[in-house]
Amino acid sequence: MPNPSRRGALRLTAGLALGGAFALTGCGRSDDTAAATATAAPVDASPATGTVTLWAAQGDADVLDKVIKPFKTANPDVTVKVTLIPNGEYYTKLQSAIAAGKGPDLAQFFPESQSQFLDPSILRPVPDGLVDKAGFFESLWAAGVVGDVAYTVPWYAYTYALVYRADLARKAGVKAPSKWDETVPFLKALQGAGAGRGLGADIGWDIFNGQDVAMYAWQAGGSLLSSGGKWTLDTPAMVDALQYNASFFTSGTADTSGPTFLDAQPYFVSGKTAMMITGPWVIGQLDAAAKKDGWTAANVATAPLPAGASGSKSFSAGGSWGVLAGAGNADSAWKLVRYLTEPSAQVAQYKAYSSLPAVISAWDDPAIANQPLLDAFLTQLKNTRAFPQVNTWQQVATRLGKEMEAVAKGTETAAKAAANVQSYADSLGTGAK
Amino acid sequence: MTTTISPGTPRRARRSRSSGSVRSSRSSRGARRTAVAWLFLAPFAVVFLLYTAIPTVAALGFSLTDLRGADLRHPFAVDFTGLENYLRLFQDQSFLRDILNTGLFVGVGVPLTMGLGFALAVALNSGIRRLRGVFRTVFFAPVVTNVVAVALIWQYAFNADGTVNKVLGAVGLAGPNWLDDQNLAMPVVILLGVWRNFGTAMVLFLAGLQSIPEDVYEAAALDGAGRWRQLRHITLPLLLPTTLMVSVLLTVFYLQVFDEPYLLTNGGPLGSTESMALYTYRQFGSGEFGVSSAASFVMLLLVALVSVVQFRLLRSRS
Repeated sequence: MPNPSRRGALRLTAGLALGGAFALTGCGRSDDTAAATATAAPVDASPATGTVTLWAAQGDADVLDKVIKPFKTANPDVTVKVTLIPNGEYYTKLQSAIAAGKGPDLAQFFPESQSQFLDPSILRPVPDGLVDKAGFFESLWAAGVVGDVAYTVPWYAYTYALVYRADLARKAGVKAPSKWDETVPFLKALQGAGAGRGLGADIGWDIFNGQDVAMYAWQAGGSLLSSGGKWTLDTPAMVDALQYNASFFTSGTADTSGPTFLDAQPYFVSGKTAMMITGPWVIGQLDAAAKKDGWTAANVATAPLPAGASGSKSFSAGGSWGVLAGAGNADSAWKLVRYLTEPSAQVAQYKAYSSLPAVISAWDDPAIANQPLLDAFLTQLKNTRAFPQVNTWQQVATRLGKEMEAVAKGTETAAKAAANVQSYADSLGTGAK
Repeated sequence: MTTTISPGTPRRARRSRSSGSVRSSRSSRGARRTAVAWLFLAPFAVVFLLYTAIPTVAALGFSLTDLRGADLRHPFAVDFTGLENYLRLFQDQSFLRDILNTGLFVGVGVPLTMGLGFALAVALNSGIRRLRGVFRTVFFAPVVTNVVAVALIWQYAFNADGTVNKVLGAVGLAGPNWLDDQNLAMPVVILLGVWRNFGTAMVLFLAGLQSIPEDVYEAAALDGAGRWRQLRHITLPLLLPTTLMVSVLLTVFYLQVFDEPYLLTNGGPLGSTESMALYTYRQFGSGEFGVSSAASFVMLLLVALVSVVQFRLLRSRS
């Protein structure tokens, strides 16, 4: 046998290592091929049967057993085995299970970060006629679609809006800002009325901040990907977005020192901060932070996000369901998904965990409609966009968050930060091979 | 064939036969012992092979490919990219910055931890012997305390309106925002590392000190050597093996430092406390398995290199 070249030896090492690793995980081309050719049979109205294994992240799914009780009653021959996994490690475990061919029948996903799973080798296409796609918030449905094929069905929804101290705004005689250039003056007015800082800004400088700046870029008229699928992150709109975010800090209406994640609500309640750009779950938590029932109703108001040059846009997020390509009981899994998106089940989920419906008609239920603080979120949800459905979006968003820190702290210009993100995103591509 | 047997031969032959049987019985005993040794080693060997050797080789393989998280569903579509990931690493300003940060952790953290551990060990070994047990427990407590809880407390202590600044305020000083200041965050993170590790250094130094016979000191004292000369000419030279071990252990720890910067500052502000291990973790978390594996191999090589140099230097002195 001739001596292998150095390159050959490296190839051999890599090949052995990869082969070994994938053999250990039980992964292989044959599974992929089988899954890719799987088709979703139409789902009829007959009762669900057999066992449906379901994985979900802890949180909104904690109450699933209670929410699906009527489904089990109506389908006595079905058993639903729910496995809840800590949120932080949910995708890692799911990814490993899928690679090992040991995933559940039905799994929860997050519309804002599910793009890596939207592939026929992982998920089955949503059967035609299973649900009415027009009944969902448009961008939530779009977050599950790749190449005109829908892989996930929205379950619950949230987006960001303004949550601010109405009492301080009244004292200052100001109304919630409706445009970008009204935001800093509004925050300054809140400070004049006694708040320590106008805005309790998120200062994690991570993927969540990246999502914020993406939202501002949309408001400024930008888009994150071109129609040809190339990253467009060094645009004037992105520079405006980075500058808009930095203006909160440079104007002194937000502090790069805090509040940190756990402090956000206590700071807001105590008046150290007077506004948050946040999700609807906060509404239900402020009374607890204030240790007084009715505090929120008396002191808090909500409003849609201020509009940039291109309007008031936010991102769509929440939960969704997908049936795995290797599901043994796909038919019953789809029946369960169909049940979970019925307005009554959506309202039951809201009552049990305050998860806001992804189905628009469910918002008419008095349990939700009679809560004026949620109105701004409904308005905003109708004006949202989905993050790019590409594999590398999470990495790009994380880098955006880091660059935002540099701009907010004045160590980098917005134009340089946008160029950095563009060059980083270009080096990653979109993950498509 | 005929054989001439001399008078001495039978004896030699017997001896020879007997020697052969002894050898064979010895060799079979040896084989048995070897088999027993392997039997006892087997559990470790299996665990080592499965959880260390194979993943290490696999990681080396991954580092030479463009493997990403999304590729787990198309494993055979992975391309062999040679040393591209390593080149990318060394062209990445943040990785170069993280190497420098890690160097700072090692350069400042190791001497501080060793110095504090040694000083306390000497104190415990001489002046305050009666309370040795109590102090040993007190100083060792940070080693066994949950790092997440500790980091949370430190975070609150060093916040802009945290305990440290309240104490400074009480004496009329305006405290800075420690964890959001690019120049101050690193000292606080290193301080947490020192606080967590000096107990280990102290216990090891204490064990080393207690192994030095008392009569050596008595003889030196009789010859007129004071405490400083005893420390310089007896304690330090005899503690060299312990010093070697402690320095290697701490260097390896600080080269891989992760918990402290991750929990206290998450690598910020502006990446000023991000370590190589944190970089590796972030790459892995964002699905860049190839780059992450390459970074972990760079770390492995650095750890090996520094350990070998330290062993050689200190051994040659001893």
